[in-house]
Amino acid sequence: MNTFAAKYLIKIRFSFLVTGLVSCFLLFSISAPAQLAPGQKAPDIVLPDENGRIKKLSDLNGKVVLVDFWASWCGPCRRANPSLVLLYNKYKKSGFEIYSVSIDDEKKAWKNAIEQDKLSWSNVIETGGWEGRVATNWKVDIVPTSYLLDRSGKVIVVDPFGKQLERAVAKQLNVKE
Amino acid sequence: MKKIFVILILLGTVVTTNAQFKSAMLQASGLTCAMCTKAINKSLEKLSFIQSINPDIKNSAFNIQFKQGASVNIDQLKKAVQDAGFSVARLKLTGNFINVAVKNDEHVQINGNTFHFLNVSNQTLDGKREITIVDKNFVNTKEFNKFSEATQMTCVKTGHAAACCSKDGIKDNARVYHVTI
Repeated sequence: MNTFAAKYLIKIRFSFLVTGLVSCFLLFSISAPAQLAPGQKAPDIVLPDENGRIKKLSDLNGKVVLVDFWASWCGPCRRANPSLVLLYNKYKKSGFEIYSVSIDDEKKAWKNAIEQDKLSWSNVIETGGWEGRVATNWKVDIVPTSYLLDRSGKVIVVDPFGKQLERAVAKQLNVKE
Repeated sequence: MKKIFVILILLGTVVTTNAQFKSAMLQASGLTCAMCTKAINKSLEKLSFIQSINPDIKNSAFNIQFKQGASVNIDQLKKAVQDAGFSVARLKLTGNFINVAVKNDEHVQINGNTFHFLNVSNQTLDGKREITIVDKNFVNTKEFNKFSEATQMTCVKTGHAAACCSKDGIKDNARVYHVTI
């Protein structure tokens, strides 16, 4: 084998290696990362509230925050709202906040639901339903989906509810249940 | 024989433009809230004849709009719901009908599909009307049993034409959708 052929062969091998690497990379980037897990830092959310004012999730850093994905047409979400209201009223003075992200397509239905259920915390909306950017980023495949974040914005519990939620909130705030 | 067959097919295609399905109300049932999962939406969105899907809280159902002029495949709607891990609890189709004469316990060709009307009074469908599919796996078992007793014809059990239906010019084993108004 002369040197030219050897060089050519190496080139071919190299190009195979590159294609291999690229396809590996593509494979990994296609296989979407799983839902946010406890211990992970929550990505920021920047969305408008009922009055069109922008509300950032990161503005609530320093508080214990429940990020709640819901929709006005979601029965289980609506049924959970009264107990969330009770929880909010009980712990807000100690530094508890709720940041509710609606995936409603219709703003009117969303506003009506907020009024009916008397939700007095940060309510934001991303019209675009399941395919909205935030819902996609946060891997929301079902509503309700919620994340309890600690004061630094890290996820503590995914989908906490009822007693488990209250216990986690009280523990993070260092107050009695 | 072949000629007769060809004529039958031609006749079938001639009478196909007597109605156009515009939209559907679909209730799905399962262990969790059907509207609350992305799975059904994703599954339905894959169907080429669907324009949009909107949740309807009053009926805890999906309002589905079909693309204009598209031919709606009713079985595919059911399959999409089943692929998402749910079952159909109710499927109501809304269509624009043009003088479609309907008789109780008889077959009617609508847009290339065969419909078998059950528990209806003899009438002519004209304008915007709703029909409900009462085939197996489109309603709950109790309702299915009720409707399957409304006819002597065996096609109601399988959803496919049998010897009984051939007098209406329906091909053997063709899909027959059982419906009510």
